[in-house]
Order: sequence, then structure tokens, then C-alpha cells
Amino acid sequence: MIKNLKKYFSENGIWLLFVMPALLIYLVFMAAPLLDSMRLSFYTGKGYTPTEFVGFKNYVDLFTNPLWRERFLGALKNTIIFFSIHMIIQNSLGLFFANLLSAEFKGRNFFRTVIFAPATLSVLITGFLWTLILNPYWGAINQSLKAIGLDSWAKPWLGDEHLALPVISLTSVWQWVGMPTVLFLAGLLGISDEILEAARVDGASNWHIFWKIKFPLLKPVIGVVAILTFVDNFNAFDVIFAMAGAKGEPGYSTDLLATFFYRTGIAGEHPAGIPNMGMGAAIATLIFIILMVGVLLWLYSSRKNEELA
Amino acid sequence: MKKTLFALLMVLAFVLAACGGAPAPAEEAPAAEEAPAAEEAPAEEEAPAVEEAPAAEPVELVLGSWRADDVDAWDVILAKFNEEHPEISVKFDPTSPVDYDTTLRTQLETGSAPDLFFVRSFATGLDLFEQGFVASMKDLPGIHDNFNAGALAPWSTADGEPFAVPIAAVSHGIYYNQDLFEANGIAVPQTWEELLAAAQTLKDAGVIPFSNGTKDAWDINEVVMMTIIPNNIGGMDGRMAYLNGERCFNDADMVAAYTQIQDLAPFLPADFTATDYYTSEQLFVQGQAAMYFDGSWSITPVEKDAPDFNWSVFAAPPAEGKDQYISFHMDAAIGMNAATENAEAAQTFLEWLATEEFGEAFGNGVPGFFPVSNNVPTLTDPVANEFLSFNSKAAGTDIRFVWEKLMAQPDGFASPYTVMNDGVIAVLKGEQTPQEAADSLQEAIATWYEPAQNCGN
Repeated sequence: MIKNLKKYFSENGIWLLFVMPALLIYLVFMAAPLLDSMRLSFYTGKGYTPTEFVGFKNYVDLFTNPLWRERFLGALKNTIIFFSIHMIIQNSLGLFFANLLSAEFKGRNFFRTVIFAPATLSVLITGFLWTLILNPYWGAINQSLKAIGLDSWAKPWLGDEHLALPVISLTSVWQWVGMPTVLFLAGLLGISDEILEAARVDGASNWHIFWKIKFPLLKPVIGVVAILTFVDNFNAFDVIFAMAGAKGEPGYSTDLLATFFYRTGIAGEHPAGIPNMGMGAAIATLIFIILMVGVLLWLYSSRKNEELA
Repeated sequence: MKKTLFALLMVLAFVLAACGGAPAPAEEAPAAEEAPAAEEAPAEEEAPAVEEAPAAEPVELVLGSWRADDVDAWDVILAKFNEEHPEISVKFDPTSPVDYDTTLRTQLETGSAPDLFFVRSFATGLDLFEQGFVASMKDLPGIHDNFNAGALAPWSTADGEPFAVPIAAVSHGIYYNQDLFEANGIAVPQTWEELLAAAQTLKDAGVIPFSNGTKDAWDINEVVMMTIIPNNIGGMDGRMAYLNGERCFNDADMVAAYTQIQDLAPFLPADFTATDYYTSEQLFVQGQAAMYFDGSWSITPVEKDAPDFNWSVFAAPPAEGKDQYISFHMDAAIGMNAATENAEAAQTFLEWLATEEFGEAFGNGVPGFFPVSNNVPTLTDPVANEFLSFNSKAAGTDIRFVWEKLMAQPDGFASPYTVMNDGVIAVLKGEQTPQEAADSLQEAIATWYEPAQNCGN
């Protein structure tokens, strides 16, 4: 038996044996629950294990019942805004900081640490701190604005339907900007000095060096950062839960797909707290499909780029 | 081919090994649970005979709760129980209020729930009972003698089978700063019109009249709207008329309640949309606001913050010419986990909840929660007694408007509670008129609640 095994693996590649544990863990703890959750989306009933099969009713309700549709489309729109703010602001800042931090200067390591520090804190803690900072009565921001006479700029940041989502997104950007910075920094440090020196000898300005040399060479990293931002933010839940509650207050203006899912499938609406797990599973499945389409598009385009290169 | 088959078998073997590992302990678990039960079984039979025997085996029960603020008080209450029943000790194991329902549900689904736990009233508790997680209380000795039907109703099925022992009601009212009232020459308002006049005087004096806000959306709905509704609709009889379809949810009285919300709008903090529940209490405690609507459960937090002024509470006044009704809400009961191994000890504890000793320890340990058994204790906290005094002066009391049948809707979504909450906020912001908000409430309820579909006939 053992001999046969040995023979088998030596002939077919020992890799199979090494892949097996991870594959099993993946299948049992990731793929199986995912498939089961998709199965649940076709059921309705009480508690966490709905039993009554209803076919596509949950999906039909989600798209046709005005009450569900309004919340679902609202959450989708907010999620896209939340993602876009991260994509544009967080990643541009990350690239900017990485570029600064790749230069030689005193205290470079200190700033590298500082920029990454917030990412090591719990979102619940940073969310709570920012809620205090943004408090209209004793929060630092409005106190400072009032102290310098800009009373009209002191807004109810987390209470205004137009401001709350951008403001919460920015606090999240503040917390996570260290991630793209580190990735971009690693990419920048990987660019050979010879190329940069050659460019300088040829008389290229810093501006030119960045856009003509560094930026094109960073493209693979940019792709990775973009897809990580996409996956992380379409799944985002914690920062909204910490700063605006499970209902996405005020007036659902910060309700993301994940908070909508949590409220529907896990917690139930306040105050009854009776979840609708089947509908929750339907929402979760839609989030999964959105993510999968996004990732597949990215894989497709990045492969195409590789072929071109 | 043979090799492929072998490989498949190997994979299968791994999978089975992995799966086999998981169910094995799970299968053992029930066996382990059964074992002590089997041992206890004879003991149970003997129990009545040897109840007084000191040699009884010590049992530790766990009590789940959403009252994380009251750990100290419950330690005292439970120590008192332990004095009387040395063989049973109960451990208080609370979860934060916002996470309680989700946590408990998960615990019940996975079989790790405490022996005893706080049960929410009406739909939430009933749902857990119907799913078989909560034991029936219909055979608990004395339950119908010690509690009146009104107290049991929130934790009973439609045919009157109780499934939890009620422990607490809460009252609603307006907390006010007596020093600020005196300084501005204001007497406690007896009518809604006087309340608004007082608010105007305070606003003119540069004080925030009411510190309530909408950042925690439930606050304005649960402790403001639900407090003023009974005055507008005529208490419990009025509410029943809505529930059985005699009245529509957008009739004149309901519009009047939304109109009172509109009346309050100018007297809330300028940044009320960003004012959360905690902040509104702090504005009051710091003396920046003269009044705020809240429940009796906030007595302890306000006392702890020890404001340096005199304060008390008064009942929300009705509009001129209307009777006063108090929102006196059945809030908490304790139920028994249907799967507990210590059912006998748990029942002993549940029976004790009806005694005057419990009522006194509880009512004075956590002032603002009023014991609801027929064995009424004397309370010592002055503000708690002030709250209680509302009831005898008013024309009647009632639970919160939507709780009995309108807290949830069958889909678990867009419940009347939520529609009312969204409407109240829209009225405050001036986005809807009181009539529009009441219309949207009627419309939403009529989509699924039959009596509302042909209402008003």
C-alpha cells in the first residue's frame, strides 16, 4: 500500500499530496458553505435554517417588490460610491505616499510606520474614535472650526444624508491607506536603479520618470491593489456598523450591501430581530456574483495584457 | 485508468477522514448530554421528597440577558436567591443590548445557549417559542395566580399559553432640569400646549429645550413617538380599534401624533440628525438641554452621571381637552431553554421570580424597571416612584403602540415599526407632512395586515 502510494505520487507529481490539505480545508470551510448558502437562497422560513422551497421568489421580490428593491438598489449604489472613494482617493494617496517614501530622507522609516499604523487597529476602535471626533457638540473637528470662526463649516457630519457616506468612507481611507502604500512601495523599490539612472542621464525630469518609467512598471501592482480594493470594499461592513449602525443611518444613506445583508439575514430589523435567512442568502449570493464578475473581468484583462506584453 | 481510480479513492478517503472527524464528537455530544440526564432522572422523581435535604447536588445555572449595565445589581439579586436555595447558584451572563437577539439566536441554533435567558416581548419571544427553543411555562406552579393576564400576554401564545415569567415593565416620560425650569419660571406642563410654550421660553433663554436626536433612529420612535401616541389615540382602547380595523392608521388621531412630532422639531438640537442616544443624555446631564424624552431605564445612568442640578421626570402631557395615557411597557421576562439539563433547578428559580423578595431586590437594584408580579414591593428610588405615580393619575396605561402585532411583518422587512420610524424622521426634517407620514404607515400596513385593508368601516 505504502509502496504503491509512493510509486503513485512519484509518477504523478508529489504536488497533489501537498495541495490536498489546503484543498480540503477550502472545500469544507469555503466552497461547501458558499454552495449551501446559495441553496438557502431558494428557501424561506423561520430561524437560520429555512425549510420551505420557494424557487426564485426571494430574487423576484428583491427586484420587483418596491420596498425590497428600493433598499437593495440603494445599498448597491452606496456600495459603488464607497468603493469608488477608496479606489480613487485611497489608492491615489497610496501611490503618492509610496513615491515620497521611496526616496532617501531622514525619518523615512518613522513615516513608513506612521502611515501603516492605523491599519493595525480594530475598525470598531477607529470607528468609535472618529464618531467622537465628528460629534457635533464636543467633537474636535467642529470645535476647531468654531474656534477659528468657521461656524458655518461645522456640519452634522454623520447626520447629513449627503455627507455621512463620504465622511465615513474617508475615515476608512485614513485607516487603510497604508495597505496600497506598502504594496506600491514594494513595487517601486523593485524597480532597478539602473533604469532610473539611465533616464536621469538622458535628462528626464522626476515627473517624466514617474509617468514614463515607474508608473508603467507598477501596472501589475496597480492591478493587484485595484482588485483587493474591489473585493474588500464590496464586502465592507464593519466601519458602517461601527459608525452608522446596522441600519445605515441616517435614512439608509450609508447602507451597504453587507449591512443590508446583515440586517435581513442575520440580525433582523430592530426591534423584532427576526431574520429572513432565505432572503439574506439571496442578497449574499448576489454580492458573490458581483464580486465574481469583477474578479473574472480583471483576470481576463490582466491575462490579455500579459499576452500583449 | 486504474491510477485515476486510486487517486479518486484517496481523495475520498481524505474527505471521509476529515468529515468523519467532525461528526464523531457531535454524535458523542448528545450521548454525553443524555448521560447526566439519565442519572438525574431518578433524582428528579425523588426530588419532591428530598427538596429540603441539604445534601442536594449543587447546580450552576447561567442566566443570559441584554442588561449589561446591571451586572452589579444582578449579582446582589442572585446572591439573595442563592441564600434561599444554597444548592442552586445562578451566573448572570449578559450581552450588549444591540447584539443580544442575534447572539441568543445563534446560541440556541448551535445548542450553546444559557439555561435561562431574558425573553423579548411579543413577536421576538413568540418566534423563539414557536421554534421550540423556549420551554412552555403553562405548568409552572402559580404562574396564573402571581401574574395578571395583562402581564403574561406579551409572553403568551394566541391561546394563552405562557412561555416566560415576566419580570419588568418600563415607563416613558420626560426628564427635566428642575433648576432650569425654576430659573425660567416654568411650571411642570399639564397640556401639550403648555409644553410647547415652556420649550419656547427655554429656547429664547438659549437652552436646548429637548436633547433627543435621530442619529440612533430608534430613540425618536421608541421614546418620543410611542410616548405621545397613547395621549393622541386614547390609550389601549384606541390602539385596539386600530388593530381590529375599526380605525385606519392615517386617521385624525394618528395624524395628530405625527403633528406633535412636527411641533417638537424646532425645539430639538440644531444638529439633531447627528445626535445619538448617548449624546442626548449627556446634553441633559451637562445642563445644556432642559428636557429629554426617555424611558425609566435611564434613571440609573443619569444618577451615575450625577448632574449638579435638581432633576425629575413628568409624564408626556396630552393636548388640551384630551385624557392622559401612560406608555407603561412590558419589557422583560425570563424564559427557560427548552434544551437545558437543569430544568428542575431552573424552574425553582423561575418560581422565585414571582416572590416579593425578588421584586424588592430587583425593583430597588435596578430602579426604573418595575416588577410586575402581583406581590408588589415598595420601591425606594424617588424618580422610580415618580414614574410609577404617573399610572395612578392617568386615565390608563398601555404598551408601546406597534409591539403587540405590528412590530414585525411576515417578510421580516419594512415592519410598521420601521415605517413609522422613517416617517417620524421625515416629518422632523420637513420632508413629509404628518398626513403623508400617516398615509405611508397605513399603506405599508395594509399590504399584509388584513384588518387594515378594510379599515374604518
